[in-house]
Amino acid sequence: MTRFTLLLALASALVFTGAALAVESYGGPRYWYPGEGAGSSWSSSTNRNAFNKATSGYETTVTFIDNASYAWRATVRNKDMVTYTYWYSSQGKKAHCKTHTGYHWGGCHVS
Amino acid sequence: MSRSLGERKTKVVVHRRARRAGTLSAVVIASGVLVGGVIAGRIDWTDNAAKLDAALAEAPPVQLATIPAADGLPGRGVFAQFTSTGHFCLSDAPLDSPQMGGGGCNAADDPLGGTSISASLAYDGGPAIAGVKDARVIGLASAEVASIDVLMTDGTSRSAKLKKAKVGSDELQVFGYRFKKADLKRGLGPTAIVALDADGVEIGRQPTGIGD
Repeated sequence: MTRFTLLLALASALVFTGAALAVESYGGPRYWYPGEGAGSSWSSSTNRNAFNKATSGYETTVTFIDNASYAWRATVRNKDMVTYTYWYSSQGKKAHCKTHTGYHWGGCHVS
Repeated sequence: MSRSLGERKTKVVVHRRARRAGTLSAVVIASGVLVGGVIAGRIDWTDNAAKLDAALAEAPPVQLATIPAADGLPGRGVFAQFTSTGHFCLSDAPLDSPQMGGGGCNAADDPLGGTSISASLAYDGGPAIAGVKDARVIGLASAEVASIDVLMTDGTSRSAKLKKAKVGSDELQVFGYRFKKADLKRGLGPTAIVALDADGVEIGRQPTGIGD
């Protein structure tokens, strides 16, 4: 019974860790000053990039930068609680996020 | 006499060592709690982002407006989603792939984020405006907004059409505007989205811009 409980706990921990790892935080969570940004590492398997904030009202941008032309792809800018974009491409890319206004709490995530 | 002095010295040293060990343990425990708290906070924050990701993939998108095809670019839709995480999300996406777009989310009970206008600028290419191939602005406006002006970098403005939209129990309005290729080629981009009432009085403004 004890072994079963331990195995169940281990399995639950692995599932929880796996779910958390499916989304990679590359900026924060922390407090952001206007003009600050962050970038993820290069990857060809990611397609969603989001800037999650504690509240709405702070203007942020999220985008992908491709590894061929270094152009910005599927860029989105708004002041919502979550600013997000999708770019479905197998091309190598890195996620980039930036804040334009305020001093606010938030984090940038890629998946 | 000298023996008792030696014993006392030994006791003092033992006490000091015990106190140091106690202090060190307290510091280690406090650091552990602090680091654990920070890690737990990060995991919690990341976990919430993962939950919203999953919820967006499951929530059925409802099309509220259309951005017509123009300048050789395909039409797109303005889609709304209510997620199981308690968010309302408005996105700009291909008509045949409504979940492959980008936009913004606010609390479901406050889709405008406490303002009269909530807009998302989306563009492909750049960041310098000369490299931008397509740019659009979508958004929601409160019922009292009569018109939406998109202010441009040369001081002129473009008009975005409003369409009534019921969002949850709220009677709101939605808009979607695609910037003309001619404007982008001339280096013209948006600087702000302005909401005006029926008398032409400004009742809301959201600064924006390409590249910066």
